[in-house]
Amino acid sequence: MKNIVIGQYIPGKGLFYRMDPRTKIISVITLMIAIFLLGSIPQLLVAFSVCAVMMWVGNIPVKRVIRGMKPLIILLLFTFFFQIFFNKEGKLLLDEVMHVTVVSVLGIVLWTIIWRLLARIGKFKTVLLLAYIMGIFVLFRFLPFGYSFTTFRFAIYEKGIEMSIFVIIRLVIIISLSTVLTLTTKPTDLTQGLESLMRPLKIIGIRSEDFALIISISLRYIPTILDEAFKIMAAQASRGADFAEGKLKDKVKQVISLLVPMFIIAFKRSEDLADAMESRNFVPGKPRTRIHELRFGWTDIGVGVFTLAALALTIVLKVIG
Amino acid sequence: MSYIEVKDLSFSYTGKRMILKDISLSIEKGEWVAILGHNGSGKSTLAKAMVGLLEPNQGTIAYDGVVLTNDTAYDIRKKVGIVFQNPDNQFVGVTVRDDIAFGMENLMVPQKQMLEMIDFYSEKVGMKDFLDKEPSTLSGGQKQRVAIAGILAMQTQVIIFDEATSMLDPYARRDLIEYIQKLNQEGITVIMITHDINEAMYANRLVILKDGTIFSDGDKWSLFKQPEIFENSHLELPFSLKLAAALDDSLPEEKAVKDFLWQSISNT
Repeated sequence: MKNIVIGQYIPGKGLFYRMDPRTKIISVITLMIAIFLLGSIPQLLVAFSVCAVMMWVGNIPVKRVIRGMKPLIILLLFTFFFQIFFNKEGKLLLDEVMHVTVVSVLGIVLWTIIWRLLARIGKFKTVLLLAYIMGIFVLFRFLPFGYSFTTFRFAIYEKGIEMSIFVIIRLVIIISLSTVLTLTTKPTDLTQGLESLMRPLKIIGIRSEDFALIISISLRYIPTILDEAFKIMAAQASRGADFAEGKLKDKVKQVISLLVPMFIIAFKRSEDLADAMESRNFVPGKPRTRIHELRFGWTDIGVGVFTLAALALTIVLKVIG
Repeated sequence: MSYIEVKDLSFSYTGKRMILKDISLSIEKGEWVAILGHNGSGKSTLAKAMVGLLEPNQGTIAYDGVVLTNDTAYDIRKKVGIVFQNPDNQFVGVTVRDDIAFGMENLMVPQKQMLEMIDFYSEKVGMKDFLDKEPSTLSGGQKQRVAIAGILAMQTQVIIFDEATSMLDPYARRDLIEYIQKLNQEGITVIMITHDINEAMYANRLVILKDGTIFSDGDKWSLFKQPEIFENSHLELPFSLKLAAALDDSLPEEKAVKDFLWQSISNT
Protein backbone atom coordinates (compact mmCIF):
# COMPACT_ATOMS: atom_id res chain seq x y z
CA MET A 1 0.00 0.00 0.00
CA LYS A 2 2.87 2.33 -0.67
CA ASN A 3 1.43 4.10 -3.67
CA ILE A 4 -2.13 4.85 -2.78
CA VAL A 5 -3.36 7.95 -4.53
CA ILE A 6 -5.83 10.14 -2.72
CA GLY A 7 -7.91 12.43 -4.84
CA GLN A 8 -7.63 12.79 -8.57
CA TYR A 9 -4.62 15.05 -8.67
CA ILE A 10 -2.12 14.31 -11.42
CA PRO A 11 1.19 16.16 -11.34
CA GLY A 12 1.78 18.33 -14.36
CA LYS A 13 2.54 21.73 -15.73
CA GLY A 14 0.30 24.28 -17.35
CA LEU A 15 -2.00 27.19 -16.89
CA PHE A 16 -4.13 25.65 -14.16
CA TYR A 17 -1.17 24.39 -12.17
CA ARG A 18 0.21 27.88 -11.83
CA MET A 19 -3.02 29.21 -10.39
CA ASP A 20 -3.78 29.88 -6.76
CA PRO A 21 -6.27 27.29 -5.46
CA ARG A 22 -8.53 30.10 -4.23
CA THR A 23 -8.89 31.54 -7.72
CA LYS A 24 -9.58 28.09 -9.07
CA ILE A 25 -12.30 27.36 -6.53
CA ILE A 26 -14.01 30.72 -7.00
CA SER A 27 -13.70 30.55 -10.79
CA VAL A 28 -15.22 27.08 -10.94
CA ILE A 29 -18.14 28.15 -8.75
CA THR A 30 -18.67 31.34 -10.77
CA LEU A 31 -18.54 29.48 -14.06
CA MET A 32 -21.03 26.94 -12.73
CA ILE A 33 -23.43 29.75 -11.85
CA ALA A 34 -22.90 31.18 -15.32
CA ILE A 35 -23.69 27.80 -16.89
CA PHE A 36 -26.92 27.59 -14.90
CA LEU A 37 -27.92 31.02 -16.21
CA LEU A 38 -27.68 29.88 -19.83
CA GLY A 39 -31.07 29.06 -21.30
CA SER A 40 -30.69 27.34 -24.68
CA ILE A 41 -28.81 24.51 -26.32
CA PRO A 42 -26.82 26.76 -28.71
CA GLN A 43 -25.62 28.88 -25.79
CA LEU A 44 -24.59 25.75 -23.90
CA LEU A 45 -22.77 24.44 -26.95
CA VAL A 46 -20.78 27.69 -27.12
CA ALA A 47 -19.99 27.35 -23.40
CA PHE A 48 -19.00 23.74 -24.01
CA SER A 49 -16.56 24.71 -26.76
CA VAL A 50 -15.12 27.46 -24.56
CA CYS A 51 -14.53 24.84 -21.86
CA ALA A 52 -12.96 22.50 -24.40
CA VAL A 53 -10.60 25.26 -25.56
CA MET A 54 -9.76 26.01 -21.91
CA MET A 55 -8.86 22.39 -21.29
CA TRP A 56 -6.78 22.30 -24.44
CA VAL A 57 -4.91 25.45 -23.39
CA GLY A 58 -4.43 24.07 -19.90
CA ASN A 59 -3.08 20.76 -21.20
CA ILE A 60 -5.72 18.73 -19.39
CA PRO A 61 -5.83 15.07 -20.43
CA VAL A 62 -9.32 14.62 -21.90
CA LYS A 63 -9.26 10.92 -21.07
CA ARG A 64 -9.07 11.69 -17.38
CA VAL A 65 -11.96 14.15 -17.60
CA ILE A 66 -14.09 11.51 -19.30
CA ARG A 67 -13.05 8.96 -16.71
CA GLY A 68 -14.18 11.44 -14.06
CA MET A 69 -17.66 11.29 -15.57
CA LYS A 70 -17.98 7.52 -15.37
CA PRO A 71 -19.34 7.32 -11.84
CA LEU A 72 -21.99 9.85 -12.84
CA ILE A 73 -23.22 7.99 -15.89
CA ILE A 74 -26.20 6.59 -13.96
CA LEU A 75 -27.15 10.13 -12.96
CA LEU A 76 -26.81 11.31 -16.56
CA LEU A 77 -28.97 8.45 -17.86
CA PHE A 78 -31.52 9.04 -15.16
CA THR A 79 -31.91 12.73 -16.02
CA PHE A 80 -32.05 11.85 -19.70
CA PHE A 81 -34.89 9.34 -19.34
CA PHE A 82 -36.66 11.41 -16.72
CA GLN A 83 -36.91 14.30 -19.15
CA ILE A 84 -37.98 12.03 -22.03
CA PHE A 85 -40.71 10.31 -20.03
CA PHE A 86 -42.21 13.14 -18.10
CA ASN A 87 -41.82 16.22 -20.25
CA LYS A 88 -45.01 16.44 -22.23
CA GLU A 89 -44.63 19.78 -23.96
CA GLY A 90 -44.15 20.63 -27.60
CA LYS A 91 -44.88 18.51 -30.64
CA LEU A 92 -45.66 14.82 -30.23
CA LEU A 93 -42.86 12.86 -31.90
CA LEU A 94 -43.58 9.28 -31.02
CA ASP A 95 -46.65 7.56 -29.66
CA GLU A 96 -46.60 3.84 -29.19
CA VAL A 97 -48.77 1.39 -27.29
CA MET A 98 -46.77 -0.89 -25.01
CA HIS A 99 -48.06 -4.35 -24.06
CA VAL A 100 -47.44 -5.94 -20.74
CA THR A 101 -48.22 -9.56 -21.58
CA VAL A 102 -47.12 -13.00 -20.41
CA VAL A 103 -44.71 -13.28 -23.33
CA SER A 104 -43.21 -9.80 -23.04
CA VAL A 105 -42.75 -10.15 -19.26
CA LEU A 106 -41.05 -13.54 -19.76
CA GLY A 107 -38.93 -11.99 -22.50
CA ILE A 108 -37.84 -9.22 -20.16
CA VAL A 109 -36.92 -11.68 -17.42
CA LEU A 110 -34.80 -13.59 -19.94
CA TRP A 111 -33.29 -10.36 -21.27
CA THR A 112 -32.38 -9.29 -17.74
CA ILE A 113 -30.59 -12.60 -17.13
CA ILE A 114 -28.66 -12.23 -20.40
CA TRP A 115 -27.78 -8.65 -19.50
CA ARG A 116 -26.46 -9.62 -16.05
CA LEU A 117 -24.42 -12.46 -17.53
CA LEU A 118 -22.90 -10.17 -20.14
CA ALA A 119 -22.26 -7.46 -17.54
CA ARG A 120 -20.24 -9.97 -15.53
CA ILE A 121 -17.58 -9.94 -18.26
CA GLY A 122 -16.96 -6.41 -17.11
CA LYS A 123 -16.41 -4.52 -20.32
CA PHE A 124 -18.70 -1.98 -22.05
CA LYS A 125 -20.96 -1.80 -19.01
CA THR A 126 -22.51 1.49 -20.05
CA VAL A 127 -23.22 0.32 -23.58
CA LEU A 128 -24.78 -2.83 -22.18
CA LEU A 129 -26.97 -0.82 -19.83
CA LEU A 130 -28.19 1.31 -22.74
CA ALA A 131 -28.81 -1.80 -24.84
CA TYR A 132 -30.74 -3.32 -21.95
CA ILE A 133 -33.02 -0.31 -21.66
CA MET A 134 -33.60 -0.23 -25.43
CA GLY A 135 -34.32 -3.93 -25.39
CA ILE A 136 -37.06 -3.48 -22.82
CA PHE A 137 -38.82 -1.01 -25.13
CA VAL A 138 -38.55 -3.35 -28.05
CA LEU A 139 -39.92 -6.27 -26.02
CA PHE A 140 -42.88 -4.27 -24.69
CA ARG A 141 -43.63 -2.86 -28.12
CA PHE A 142 -43.35 -5.92 -30.35
CA LEU A 143 -44.47 -8.85 -28.18
CA PRO A 144 -48.23 -8.33 -27.74
CA PHE A 145 -48.83 -12.10 -27.45
CA GLY A 146 -50.40 -14.18 -24.74
CA TYR A 147 -52.52 -12.99 -21.85
CA SER A 148 -52.30 -9.21 -21.58
CA PHE A 149 -52.03 -7.76 -18.08
CA THR A 150 -52.31 -4.18 -19.18
CA THR A 151 -51.16 -1.75 -21.84
CA PHE A 152 -49.69 1.73 -21.53
CA ARG A 153 -48.83 4.51 -23.89
CA PHE A 154 -45.27 5.58 -24.44
CA ALA A 155 -45.00 9.05 -25.93
CA ILE A 156 -42.01 11.26 -26.63
CA TYR A 157 -42.48 14.99 -27.11
CA GLU A 158 -40.18 17.44 -28.81
CA LYS A 159 -39.56 19.40 -25.64
CA GLY A 160 -38.61 16.22 -23.81
CA ILE A 161 -35.79 15.46 -26.23
CA GLU A 162 -34.66 19.07 -26.16
CA MET A 163 -34.64 19.33 -22.40
CA SER A 164 -32.84 16.03 -21.93
CA ILE A 165 -30.04 17.11 -24.27
CA PHE A 166 -29.95 20.51 -22.57
CA VAL A 167 -29.65 19.04 -19.08
CA ILE A 168 -27.02 16.55 -20.16
CA ILE A 169 -24.77 19.14 -21.79
CA ARG A 170 -25.11 21.28 -18.70
CA LEU A 171 -24.15 18.41 -16.41
CA VAL A 172 -21.23 17.42 -18.61
CA ILE A 173 -19.84 20.97 -18.53
CA ILE A 174 -20.24 21.21 -14.77
CA ILE A 175 -18.59 17.86 -14.16
CA SER A 176 -15.67 18.71 -16.44
CA LEU A 177 -15.18 22.03 -14.67
CA SER A 178 -14.96 20.41 -11.28
CA THR A 179 -12.75 17.63 -12.68
CA VAL A 180 -10.32 20.24 -13.98
CA LEU A 181 -10.18 21.66 -10.46
CA THR A 182 -9.47 18.34 -8.79
CA LEU A 183 -7.07 17.16 -11.49
CA THR A 184 -4.83 20.19 -11.20
CA THR A 185 -5.01 20.91 -7.47
CA LYS A 186 -3.38 18.82 -4.75
CA PRO A 187 -5.80 17.84 -1.97
CA THR A 188 -3.65 19.82 0.48
CA ASP A 189 -3.78 22.95 -1.69
CA LEU A 190 -7.50 22.51 -2.10
CA THR A 191 -7.93 22.36 1.67
CA GLN A 192 -5.74 25.38 2.17
CA GLY A 193 -7.67 27.29 -0.48
CA LEU A 194 -10.98 26.38 1.13
CA GLU A 195 -9.61 27.30 4.54
CA SER A 196 -8.54 30.68 3.30
CA LEU A 197 -11.89 31.28 1.62
CA MET A 198 -13.81 30.19 4.71
CA ARG A 199 -11.87 32.47 7.02
CA PRO A 200 -14.68 35.06 7.19
CA LEU A 201 -16.81 32.36 8.87
CA LYS A 202 -14.87 33.17 12.04
CA ILE A 203 -17.59 35.74 12.77
CA ILE A 204 -20.09 32.96 13.34
CA GLY A 205 -17.58 30.96 15.35
CA ILE A 206 -16.33 28.48 12.75
CA ARG A 207 -12.55 28.21 12.75
CA SER A 208 -11.52 27.28 9.26
CA GLU A 209 -7.94 26.52 10.43
CA ASP A 210 -9.19 23.63 12.54
CA PHE A 211 -11.20 22.35 9.64
CA ALA A 212 -8.17 22.47 7.36
CA LEU A 213 -5.95 20.76 9.91
CA ILE A 214 -8.49 17.98 10.36
CA ILE A 215 -8.66 17.41 6.62
CA SER A 216 -4.90 17.43 6.14
CA ILE A 217 -4.32 15.02 9.04
CA SER A 218 -7.02 12.72 7.67
CA LEU A 219 -5.37 12.79 4.26
CA ARG A 220 -2.02 12.01 5.84
CA TYR A 221 -3.37 9.07 7.85
CA ILE A 222 -5.48 7.36 5.18
CA PRO A 223 -2.56 5.26 3.85
CA THR A 224 -1.35 4.47 7.37
CA ILE A 225 -4.73 3.29 8.53
CA LEU A 226 -5.38 1.34 5.33
CA ASP A 227 -2.06 -0.39 5.85
CA GLU A 228 -3.19 -1.23 9.36
CA ALA A 229 -6.44 -2.66 8.03
CA PHE A 230 -4.59 -4.96 5.64
CA LYS A 231 -2.33 -6.12 8.45
CA ILE A 232 -5.28 -6.96 10.67
CA MET A 233 -7.02 -8.72 7.79
CA ALA A 234 -3.89 -10.74 7.09
CA ALA A 235 -3.61 -11.60 10.78
CA GLN A 236 -7.23 -12.72 10.87
CA ALA A 237 -6.94 -14.60 7.59
CA SER A 238 -3.92 -16.46 8.96
CA ARG A 239 -6.16 -17.68 11.75
CA GLY A 240 -8.82 -18.90 9.34
CA ALA A 241 -11.05 -15.88 8.70
CA ASP A 242 -12.36 -15.81 5.14
CA PHE A 243 -13.08 -12.31 3.87
CA ALA A 244 -13.94 -13.23 0.31
CA GLU A 245 -16.72 -15.73 0.84
CA GLY A 246 -19.51 -16.52 3.22
CA LYS A 247 -23.01 -15.23 3.69
CA LEU A 248 -23.84 -11.60 4.21
CA LYS A 249 -24.29 -12.26 7.93
CA ASP A 250 -20.75 -13.68 8.16
CA LYS A 251 -19.37 -10.79 6.20
CA VAL A 252 -20.97 -8.28 8.54
CA LYS A 253 -19.43 -10.16 11.47
CA GLN A 254 -16.04 -10.04 9.82
CA VAL A 255 -16.31 -6.33 9.16
CA ILE A 256 -17.09 -5.79 12.83
CA SER A 257 -14.14 -7.92 13.87
CA LEU A 258 -12.03 -5.68 11.64
CA LEU A 259 -13.55 -2.40 12.77
CA VAL A 260 -13.15 -2.96 16.50
CA PRO A 261 -9.35 -3.28 16.47
CA MET A 262 -9.14 -0.53 13.85
CA PHE A 263 -10.98 1.87 16.13
CA ILE A 264 -8.92 0.96 19.16
CA ILE A 265 -5.71 1.51 17.19
CA ALA A 266 -7.02 4.75 15.71
CA PHE A 267 -7.77 6.09 19.19
CA LYS A 268 -4.31 5.11 20.39
CA ARG A 269 -2.80 6.81 17.35
CA SER A 270 -4.77 9.98 17.88
CA GLU A 271 -3.66 10.09 21.50
CA ASP A 272 -0.01 9.75 20.44
CA LEU A 273 -0.47 12.30 17.70
CA ALA A 274 -2.03 14.79 20.11
CA ASP A 275 1.00 14.37 22.39
CA ALA A 276 3.39 14.83 19.48
CA MET A 277 1.58 17.95 18.29
CA GLU A 278 1.38 19.45 21.75
CA SER A 279 5.06 18.76 22.43
CA ARG A 280 5.85 20.68 19.25
CA ASN A 281 3.97 23.65 20.62
CA PHE A 282 0.70 23.31 18.79
CA VAL A 283 -1.98 25.29 20.60
CA PRO A 284 -5.48 25.07 19.09
CA GLY A 285 -6.75 28.45 17.94
CA LYS A 286 -3.37 30.12 18.21
CA PRO A 287 -2.23 31.86 15.03
CA ARG A 288 0.43 30.02 13.04
CA THR A 289 2.56 30.87 10.06
CA ARG A 290 2.41 28.63 7.00
CA ILE A 291 5.08 26.83 5.05
CA HIS A 292 2.87 27.04 1.95
CA GLU A 293 1.73 30.58 1.44
CA LEU A 294 -0.94 31.20 -1.15
CA ARG A 295 -0.05 33.93 -3.61
CA PHE A 296 -2.02 35.38 -6.48
CA GLY A 297 -0.11 35.68 -9.74
CA TRP A 298 -0.73 37.06 -13.21
CA THR A 299 -2.49 33.86 -14.27
CA ASP A 300 -4.97 34.37 -11.46
CA ILE A 301 -5.77 37.89 -12.61
CA GLY A 302 -6.19 36.69 -16.21
CA VAL A 303 -8.45 33.78 -15.30
CA GLY A 304 -10.34 35.95 -12.82
CA VAL A 305 -11.07 38.57 -15.48
CA PHE A 306 -12.13 35.86 -17.93
CA THR A 307 -14.46 34.30 -15.39
CA LEU A 308 -16.10 37.60 -14.48
CA ALA A 309 -16.50 38.44 -18.17
CA ALA A 310 -18.17 35.09 -18.76
CA LEU A 311 -20.53 35.66 -15.85
CA ALA A 312 -21.36 39.19 -17.04
CA LEU A 313 -22.05 37.90 -20.55
CA THR A 314 -24.43 35.20 -19.31
CA ILE A 315 -26.28 37.73 -17.15
CA VAL A 316 -26.67 40.00 -20.15
CA LEU A 317 -27.92 37.08 -22.25
CA LYS A 318 -30.37 36.13 -19.52
CA VAL A 319 -31.73 39.70 -19.30
CA ILE A 320 -32.03 40.10 -23.08
CA GLY A 321 -33.32 36.58 -23.71
CA MET B 1 22.04 24.77 39.59
CA SER B 2 21.92 22.38 36.67
CA TYR B 3 20.26 23.07 33.35
CA ILE B 4 17.48 20.57 34.03
CA GLU B 5 16.32 20.16 37.60
CA VAL B 6 13.69 17.59 38.48
CA LYS B 7 12.73 17.85 42.13
CA ASP B 8 10.66 15.40 44.20
CA LEU B 9 8.48 14.56 41.23
CA SER B 10 5.49 12.30 41.89
CA PHE B 11 2.81 11.31 39.46
CA SER B 12 -0.25 9.14 39.43
CA TYR B 13 -2.95 8.71 36.81
CA THR B 14 -5.64 7.58 39.23
CA GLY B 15 -4.51 9.11 42.51
CA LYS B 16 -4.01 5.64 44.01
CA ARG B 17 -1.07 3.88 42.40
CA MET B 18 1.94 6.14 42.08
CA ILE B 19 3.69 5.78 38.73
CA LEU B 20 6.52 8.10 39.77
CA LYS B 21 7.65 8.57 43.35
CA ASP B 22 9.92 11.39 44.51
CA ILE B 23 12.10 11.55 41.44
CA SER B 24 14.97 14.00 41.74
CA LEU B 25 17.39 14.43 38.90
CA SER B 26 19.82 17.09 37.75
CA ILE B 27 21.07 17.09 34.20
CA GLU B 28 23.76 19.40 32.88
CA LYS B 29 23.80 20.98 29.49
CA GLY B 30 25.38 18.76 26.84
CA GLU B 31 25.05 15.56 28.85
CA TRP B 32 23.87 12.24 27.41
CA VAL B 33 21.76 10.47 29.99
CA ALA B 34 20.07 7.13 29.53
CA ILE B 35 17.01 6.54 31.65
CA LEU B 36 16.80 2.80 31.91
CA GLY B 37 13.99 0.69 33.21
CA HIS B 38 11.90 -2.36 32.46
CA ASN B 39 8.25 -2.15 31.38
CA GLY B 40 6.10 -0.31 33.87
CA SER B 41 9.00 1.36 35.64
CA GLY B 42 7.53 4.78 34.84
CA LYS B 43 10.16 5.88 32.35
CA SER B 44 7.75 6.99 29.61
CA THR B 45 5.61 8.79 32.16
CA LEU B 46 8.71 10.66 33.29
CA ALA B 47 9.47 11.61 29.68
CA LYS B 48 5.94 12.95 29.15
CA ALA B 49 6.04 14.89 32.40
CA MET B 50 9.36 16.43 31.39
CA VAL B 51 7.80 18.09 28.34
CA GLY B 52 4.68 19.10 30.19
CA LEU B 53 2.32 16.58 28.59
CA LEU B 54 1.43 15.27 32.04
CA GLU B 55 1.01 17.44 35.07
CA PRO B 56 2.82 16.06 38.14
CA ASN B 57 0.92 15.64 41.39
CA GLN B 58 3.91 16.84 43.32
CA GLY B 59 7.31 18.30 42.68
CA THR B 60 8.72 20.50 39.96
CA ILE B 61 10.65 20.32 36.73
CA ALA B 62 12.75 23.33 35.83
CA TYR B 63 14.73 24.18 32.72
CA ASP B 64 17.39 26.83 33.08
CA GLY B 65 15.76 27.98 36.29
CA VAL B 66 12.26 28.27 34.81
CA VAL B 67 9.73 25.96 36.45
CA LEU B 68 7.49 24.04 34.03
CA THR B 69 3.86 25.04 34.48
CA ASN B 70 0.92 25.45 32.13
CA ASP B 71 1.99 29.06 31.56
CA THR B 72 5.64 28.33 30.86
CA ALA B 73 5.10 25.10 28.88
CA TYR B 74 5.01 26.94 25.56
CA ASP B 75 8.39 28.61 26.16
CA ILE B 76 9.97 25.52 27.67
CA ARG B 77 8.98 23.42 24.65
CA LYS B 78 11.12 25.74 22.57
CA LYS B 79 14.06 24.36 24.55
CA VAL B 80 13.09 20.72 24.83
CA GLY B 81 11.68 18.38 22.23
CA ILE B 82 10.64 14.76 22.37
CA VAL B 83 10.84 11.96 19.82
CA PHE B 84 8.31 9.22 20.52
CA GLN B 85 8.39 5.49 19.99
CA ASN B 86 6.02 5.10 17.04
CA PRO B 87 7.41 6.83 13.94
CA ASP B 88 3.98 6.97 12.31
CA ASN B 89 2.04 8.50 15.16
CA GLN B 90 4.15 11.64 15.37
CA PHE B 91 4.31 12.50 11.70
CA VAL B 92 1.90 15.41 11.37
CA GLY B 93 2.68 16.76 7.90
CA VAL B 94 1.48 15.45 4.57
CA THR B 95 5.07 15.58 3.30
CA VAL B 96 8.50 15.61 4.94
CA ARG B 97 8.75 19.36 4.34
CA ASP B 98 5.39 20.01 5.99
CA ASP B 99 6.31 17.89 8.96
CA ILE B 100 9.62 19.63 9.62
CA ALA B 101 7.75 22.93 9.29
CA PHE B 102 4.99 22.01 11.76
CA GLY B 103 6.79 23.09 14.93
CA MET B 104 8.13 26.26 13.32
CA GLU B 105 4.65 27.15 12.05
CA ASN B 106 3.44 26.92 15.64
CA LEU B 107 6.27 29.24 16.70
CA MET B 108 5.21 31.77 14.03
CA VAL B 109 8.53 31.57 12.15
CA PRO B 110 8.24 33.54 8.86
CA GLN B 111 7.92 31.40 5.75
CA LYS B 112 11.23 32.43 4.19
CA GLN B 113 13.18 31.56 7.30
CA MET B 114 11.31 28.25 7.59
CA LEU B 115 12.41 27.24 4.10
CA GLU B 116 16.04 27.96 4.97
CA MET B 117 15.82 26.02 8.21
CA ILE B 118 14.15 23.09 6.48
CA ASP B 119 16.98 23.01 3.96
CA PHE B 120 19.59 23.12 6.69
CA TYR B 121 18.13 20.58 9.07
CA SER B 122 16.92 18.13 6.45
CA GLU B 123 20.48 18.10 5.12
CA LYS B 124 21.73 17.48 8.62
CA VAL B 125 19.63 14.36 9.13
CA GLY B 126 20.16 13.20 5.56
CA MET B 127 16.59 13.70 4.39
CA LYS B 128 17.08 16.57 1.96
CA ASP B 129 16.27 14.47 -1.09
CA PHE B 130 13.00 13.36 0.48
CA LEU B 131 11.41 16.74 1.22
CA ASP B 132 8.42 16.19 -1.08
CA LYS B 133 7.89 12.56 -0.08
CA GLU B 134 4.87 11.35 1.80
CA PRO B 135 5.31 9.51 5.10
CA SER B 136 3.88 6.27 3.70
CA THR B 137 6.85 6.05 1.34
CA LEU B 138 9.42 6.41 4.14
CA SER B 139 10.96 3.81 6.42
CA GLY B 140 10.64 4.00 10.18
CA GLY B 141 14.19 5.24 10.59
CA GLN B 142 13.65 7.98 8.03
CA LYS B 143 10.50 9.10 9.81
CA GLN B 144 12.36 9.30 13.11
CA ARG B 145 15.06 11.40 11.44
CA VAL B 146 12.36 13.74 10.12
CA ALA B 147 11.02 13.99 13.66
CA ILE B 148 14.50 14.97 14.88
CA ALA B 149 14.83 17.58 12.12
CA GLY B 150 11.46 19.03 13.08
CA ILE B 151 12.57 19.38 16.68
CA LEU B 152 16.00 20.80 15.83
CA ALA B 153 14.38 23.37 13.56
CA MET B 154 12.61 24.72 16.64
CA GLN B 155 16.09 25.50 18.05
CA THR B 156 15.75 23.10 20.95
CA GLN B 157 18.65 22.43 23.31
CA VAL B 158 17.39 19.19 24.78
CA ILE B 159 15.95 16.17 22.97
CA ILE B 160 14.23 13.37 24.83
CA PHE B 161 14.09 10.07 22.95
CA ASP B 162 11.24 8.02 24.36
CA GLU B 163 12.10 4.50 23.12
CA ALA B 164 12.64 6.17 19.77
CA THR B 165 14.57 3.25 18.30
CA SER B 166 12.50 0.35 19.62
CA MET B 167 10.36 0.03 16.49
CA LEU B 168 13.29 0.18 14.07
CA ASP B 169 15.35 -2.61 12.54
CA PRO B 170 18.92 -3.04 13.81
CA TYR B 171 20.50 -1.08 10.95
CA ALA B 172 18.12 1.85 11.23
CA ARG B 173 18.67 1.76 14.98
CA ARG B 174 22.44 2.02 14.66
CA ASP B 175 21.99 4.76 12.07
CA LEU B 176 19.74 6.80 14.31
CA ILE B 177 22.11 6.42 17.24
CA GLU B 178 24.93 7.71 15.07
CA TYR B 179 22.86 10.83 14.34
CA ILE B 180 22.18 11.24 18.02
CA GLN B 181 25.90 10.95 18.75
CA LYS B 182 26.60 13.71 16.27
CA LEU B 183 23.96 15.93 17.83
CA ASN B 184 25.35 15.32 21.29
CA GLN B 185 28.83 16.28 20.10
CA GLU B 186 27.37 19.53 18.83
CA GLY B 187 26.10 20.33 22.30
CA ILE B 188 22.53 19.01 22.28
CA THR B 189 21.55 17.47 25.59
CA VAL B 190 20.26 13.95 25.00
CA ILE B 191 17.95 12.12 27.35
CA MET B 192 17.37 8.62 26.14
CA ILE B 193 14.52 6.63 27.60
CA THR B 194 15.09 2.94 26.94
CA HIS B 195 14.79 -0.59 28.21
CA ASP B 196 17.64 -1.76 26.00
CA ILE B 197 20.91 -1.83 27.85
CA ASN B 198 22.95 -1.96 24.65
CA GLU B 199 21.46 1.34 23.65
CA ALA B 200 22.03 2.79 27.09
CA MET B 201 25.74 2.00 26.67
CA TYR B 202 26.06 4.97 24.35
CA ALA B 203 25.23 7.33 27.21
CA ASN B 204 27.74 8.52 29.73
CA ARG B 205 25.36 8.41 32.62
CA LEU B 206 22.76 5.85 33.53
CA VAL B 207 19.66 6.51 35.58
CA ILE B 208 17.92 3.27 36.47
CA LEU B 209 14.24 3.47 37.29
CA LYS B 210 12.48 0.76 39.23
CA ASP B 211 8.81 0.93 40.22
CA GLY B 212 8.70 4.67 39.79
CA THR B 213 11.75 5.52 41.84
CA ILE B 214 15.36 6.13 40.92
CA PHE B 215 17.12 2.92 41.81
CA SER B 216 20.57 4.16 40.93
CA ASP B 217 22.12 7.04 39.10
CA GLY B 218 25.72 7.42 38.06
CA ASP B 219 28.51 7.02 35.59
CA LYS B 220 27.95 3.90 33.48
CA TRP B 221 31.30 2.30 34.29
CA SER B 222 30.82 2.58 38.00
CA LEU B 223 27.36 1.02 37.65
CA PHE B 224 28.55 -1.80 35.43
CA LYS B 225 30.92 -2.85 38.18
CA GLN B 226 27.91 -3.60 40.37
CA PRO B 227 25.97 -6.23 38.41
CA GLU B 228 23.55 -6.71 41.30
CA ILE B 229 22.01 -3.32 40.52
CA PHE B 230 20.91 -4.57 37.15
CA GLU B 231 19.67 -7.88 38.49
CA ASN B 232 17.57 -6.16 41.12
CA SER B 233 15.93 -3.85 38.58
CA HIS B 234 15.10 -6.69 36.15
CA LEU B 235 17.56 -5.51 33.54
CA GLU B 236 19.86 -7.72 31.61
CA LEU B 237 23.52 -6.85 31.41
CA PRO B 238 25.05 -6.70 27.93
CA PHE B 239 26.34 -10.07 26.84
CA SER B 240 29.97 -8.99 26.91
CA LEU B 241 29.67 -7.76 30.49
CA LYS B 242 27.94 -10.94 31.58
CA LEU B 243 30.67 -13.02 30.00
CA ALA B 244 33.35 -10.92 31.57
CA ALA B 245 31.76 -11.29 34.97
CA ALA B 246 31.37 -15.04 34.54
CA LEU B 247 35.02 -15.67 33.70
CA ASP B 248 37.23 -16.51 36.62
CA ASP B 249 40.30 -14.45 37.36
CA SER B 250 42.33 -17.45 38.49
CA LEU B 251 43.10 -18.85 35.07
CA PRO B 252 45.62 -16.81 33.09
CA GLU B 253 44.16 -17.64 29.65
CA GLU B 254 40.77 -16.57 30.84
CA LYS B 255 42.23 -13.44 32.29
CA ALA B 256 43.47 -12.55 28.86
CA VAL B 257 40.03 -13.19 27.39
CA LYS B 258 38.48 -11.04 30.08
CA ASP B 259 40.86 -8.18 29.46
CA PHE B 260 40.11 -8.37 25.79
CA LEU B 261 36.38 -8.27 26.45
CA TRP B 262 36.64 -5.28 28.75
CA GLN B 263 38.72 -3.62 26.09
CA SER B 264 36.15 -4.29 23.38
CA ILE B 265 33.20 -2.96 25.34
CA SER B 266 35.00 0.19 26.33
CA ASN B 267 35.43 0.84 22.62
CA THR B 268 31.72 0.73 21.82
